[in-house]
Amino acid sequence: MASFFRISAIVNMRSASAALALFFAATIVFFCVSAPRFATASTVENLMSGFSFVAILAMGQAFPILVRGIDLSIGAIVGLVGMIVFDLSLIGQLPGYLILPLALLAGALAGAVNGVLVVHLRLQPFIATLATLAAYRGLTYAISGRQLVPGLTTTPIRDPWLTGIETYFDVGGWLGLSRLVNMPWVPLSFVIMLAVFVVLQVLLTSTRFGRDIYATGGNHEAARLAGIRVNNVIIAAYALAGLCAAIAALIMVARFTTATEALGAGMELTAIAAAVIGGVSLAGGVGAMFGPALGAFLLGAILIGLTLQGVPQFVQQIITGAILLAAVGYDRLLSVRRQRRLTAASTAAT
Amino acid sequence: MTAAGPPLLRGTGLAKTYGNLVALDDTDFVVNAGEVRALIGSNGAGKSTLIKILTGAVTPTRGSVEISGEIAPLGDPSEMIRRGVACIYQHSNLAPAMSALDNIYLGRQPTRRFGFVDTRRQRLQAEELLAHHGIDIDLDARVGTLSTVKQKEVEILKALALEARVILMDEPTGWLAGADVVRLHNTIRTLKARGVGIVYISHVLDEIFAVCDTVTIMRDGRVVAESAVADIDRPRVVHLMVGEKLARESADAALKQRRPRGTGAVRLSARGLGKSGVFADVSFDLHAGEIFCLTGLIGSRRTELVRTLFGSDRFDTGTLEIDGRAVAPRTPLDGMSLGIGFVPEDRHREGLMLDMNVTENLAMATLERHCRGPLLSRSGMVRAGRRAIDDLSVQPRDGSKMVRLLSGGNQQKVLVGKWLSRGPRILILDEPTVGVDVGAKAEIYAILRREREQGAAILIVSSDLEEVMTVADRIGVMVSGRLVAVHDAGSVGMADIVREIGGGSA
Amino acid sequence: MSARSLSMPAALSAHVAPNALPIAVAVIIAIFALTEPAFLSTDNLVGIARQVAIIGIMAVCMTFVIMTGGVDLSVGPVLALAGLAAFYSLDAGFSLPVVILAGLSVGAVVGLANGMIVAFLQLPPIIVTLAMLSMVRGTALIVGGPEQHLIRNEPAYSFIGTGSMFGLPVSVYIFAAVAVIMILVQWRTPLGLLVAAIGDNERAARLSGHRTRFTKTLVYVICGLGAALAGIIQSSQVHTALATYGPFGTELDVIAAVVLGGTSIMGGNGSIARTLLGVFFLGILNNGMNILNVPIDIQLIAKGAIIVAALAIAARRG
Repeated sequence: MASFFRISAIVNMRSASAALALFFAATIVFFCVSAPRFATASTVENLMSGFSFVAILAMGQAFPILVRGIDLSIGAIVGLVGMIVFDLSLIGQLPGYLILPLALLAGALAGAVNGVLVVHLRLQPFIATLATLAAYRGLTYAISGRQLVPGLTTTPIRDPWLTGIETYFDVGGWLGLSRLVNMPWVPLSFVIMLAVFVVLQVLLTSTRFGRDIYATGGNHEAARLAGIRVNNVIIAAYALAGLCAAIAALIMVARFTTATEALGAGMELTAIAAAVIGGVSLAGGVGAMFGPALGAFLLGAILIGLTLQGVPQFVQQIITGAILLAAVGYDRLLSVRRQRRLTAASTAAT
Repeated sequence: MTAAGPPLLRGTGLAKTYGNLVALDDTDFVVNAGEVRALIGSNGAGKSTLIKILTGAVTPTRGSVEISGEIAPLGDPSEMIRRGVACIYQHSNLAPAMSALDNIYLGRQPTRRFGFVDTRRQRLQAEELLAHHGIDIDLDARVGTLSTVKQKEVEILKALALEARVILMDEPTGWLAGADVVRLHNTIRTLKARGVGIVYISHVLDEIFAVCDTVTIMRDGRVVAESAVADIDRPRVVHLMVGEKLARESADAALKQRRPRGTGAVRLSARGLGKSGVFADVSFDLHAGEIFCLTGLIGSRRTELVRTLFGSDRFDTGTLEIDGRAVAPRTPLDGMSLGIGFVPEDRHREGLMLDMNVTENLAMATLERHCRGPLLSRSGMVRAGRRAIDDLSVQPRDGSKMVRLLSGGNQQKVLVGKWLSRGPRILILDEPTVGVDVGAKAEIYAILRREREQGAAILIVSSDLEEVMTVADRIGVMVSGRLVAVHDAGSVGMADIVREIGGGSA
Repeated sequence: MSARSLSMPAALSAHVAPNALPIAVAVIIAIFALTEPAFLSTDNLVGIARQVAIIGIMAVCMTFVIMTGGVDLSVGPVLALAGLAAFYSLDAGFSLPVVILAGLSVGAVVGLANGMIVAFLQLPPIIVTLAMLSMVRGTALIVGGPEQHLIRNEPAYSFIGTGSMFGLPVSVYIFAAVAVIMILVQWRTPLGLLVAAIGDNERAARLSGHRTRFTKTLVYVICGLGAALAGIIQSSQVHTALATYGPFGTELDVIAAVVLGGTSIMGGNGSIARTLLGVFFLGILNNGMNILNVPIDIQLIAKGAIIVAALAIAARRG
């Protein structure tokens, strides 16, 4: 009996990720067959360069959701950090190696403010971050170098420390595989995404902090009674979301070599969608980093595939929505089944 | 046997008052090393207040607590945990999506540098703990997938990992089946052999005689008796719990007010009702003008049974007749149209809209009566509310008061009143007086008796034997999803019921 | 021990907090009136009413959704799609009632879908309506394409958004009518009571014999209808139907107005009348800051800060 529970537990826990990976594979196969020029190096390259920062945002968003919150402000944080980079580089003329840590710090701080509002002012996460969404976007306009020094509007950012993020590596060439097939060049942003993934995944699964996150999201009261400082854990979760938004902002600024006031607008919804598709439960305490990252690339693959198929962008929005609905529906189905199995198990003992 | 070891935990002169209400009055309490001490008493006897003081959840008005001879600071849960007092609460305190291993060390996993969890050491410690205490558990299983008894064991391990020397267990077998209770008791015996002091709170006398060494009996906020379990027998325990005088008085009063069975027509007739895996083969009749009490242990499926009568759950097998007509209510609305009213067990989660006012709560089941066409007559609601408030003497007599601000007893009156306003032909009440003070209890009983006189058929689910003996005309006993006996209240004693509830052993 | 004696600030907030919003509205009116006399001109006041009508209708209609513990993020694209539906029905030569019905039916259908998924499949409203936002926007873009559709020579239709009676714009009358109807629904029908009951304790409402799922579906339909009505007014006001109307952020403005009005995002307590206060508070704030030439950035920051402050006061109270 015990071994049965064990197996079913593992199957259950893995099944969400496994289903997502399978669905991702099926999507790829589907487009490879049906969409012209999908199975090419440039598609892979587009996917890697166009959705790595979305994956980073999604992984960041997973943290507030893991502690039963949500962060609507990360798109605004992207805009804010982007504008800080713009100002520091073009107006402040600061060197890039100083700007990078400052930008990350700003993102983490903006996130931490969200956490403080949730914890200490006892605001609902949805509302608190809705308010900071407006406030951060406003702050972005307020500090906008584009308005302070209108002449800079067309000046690109040239600092190699910043633009260097938009670098591509000919991995295929190094490995000698390019002689066999046409290999995509790997953008640095993808490498950064992988690094973020590894760091956050280790943080989540191998450190005390990770355990505290799961405990806080899974049973807030139990965590509190066990002496976990749940308030600090929650603030840290929001700070991590802000940090990830800052990383995403750096990638976007490097790509566009500039920042606009509207940078990142609406990104929070994509990030939430990717996280939920990736099996991060809105009920808290369930999820990891693999799902949100893959969820982002799944959304990306679908968008690119549909574009190549000539499906208008509008239909893509409908399909994205439908996938999101299917993802929460599937999550709900899993939890209903889990519940049913538990009651069955407990009554079977009677 | 009584003084198994040195005192681990000693409370002296503990008292707690809330305004005028004395919850705990000058109580001494000792737990020794290697002792399992039962703490029993009926609802409101002061058990939970005592426990809350010992865990630091409540600061006592007077008194002191010593742990291993040292005075402990009061009212600070983390300080109590640090000093080795752990509590296993009735409801789960585990994170369901995390592994058993992580739950055992929740918030205090051993770490290496940089906050990395030392999983190897954690596992070694846990396995040592398992071996030392002879508990067997799959450390990698997610707690949410474990059976209830295993979850209780995880909570016990969690307490042991804190090096708890005293473990308070609040109704630990509440949701456990018979075999699992035995398992848990074996675990407790192993702990006892290791010198852990255990406080075992339970309503189930069988368990107390099976596993406890000593017993402390509380009534009305004070300790009325302490004894070795070997030196006391069941009737004595029951008498001490209920209070001899009260037991006789209330029995007399109840006897006078009791009605012989079957004075009215059969209102509701269940034949062979069953729900797969929950309850089976339940047959009984409920007459007009009687109060029928279903009693049994928590987890004996009484609640599940009555919910299917009302329609908020469904039965699979058997037939249900109401007024001679076969019915199968599928929704609460069905139950209501059959003339049934249902006061659920948990008034906060299922009964009341706490942030709405008394008038609105009272009208919640009768909204259609206050409608004039599509419009709702607020003034009609207020009038009806005022009548009900006077009728039930809800305090304060203010319909615009938010229900959250009422005392437990008055909240319960509002909940009962909501159904009475429909004039139900059948009224089902699940644990109607939990958390209700003595005065309000008596008022609620009076209300129910009055409804009975007016011909309603009343079915009460109650674990409180005193209540059962006080109000019932007939008593049904459920054990593990079966109705094992039905008695005329006049012809049966409390001791017999106690024996039957425990499954007829001893 | 000292639990009985309320401290001064606590006592203060206990009295001030429930009336914080009316006080705040009065204060900002006073500030704007003193710094800029033009603020109190009839033209400007009428202008405020006209400006808030669209958001106001949506906020009034979303209040019930939020009271049941839900939220509807899909109102923006519904507004756009309803405008398009009205345009195409006009184009096809239907009469005005049919045109309006066509527009409203968009809201009813989307609301029904939202409501049924939330109520019967029990999926989280944030995600469901987020998905719906994406799907309805896509539909609007397929239907309307990215280009503007001009509504010309339709005096009857244009009257909805641009006409005026007795010196007040028609849209203001519509807003007032919707508000009055919804206030009536809240206070004088069982639905109003039921919505609060569901938000407070859904299980208890079900056990009291109410069809809670049906009611939950209904409130999303009402919300969708409100958004569609707003869409009709908007397209009529600017003589244009466009698939990207009601851009991202519209729903957040609507939610902000509701929540500022004291409706808890957790459900339960709420009042349509107070939502109106929230609507006017934000509307006056926007208008006043525009008159005073406060730059957009400060406006956004101020809006965020005010929402936080208002809710923090409310949270202290609870």
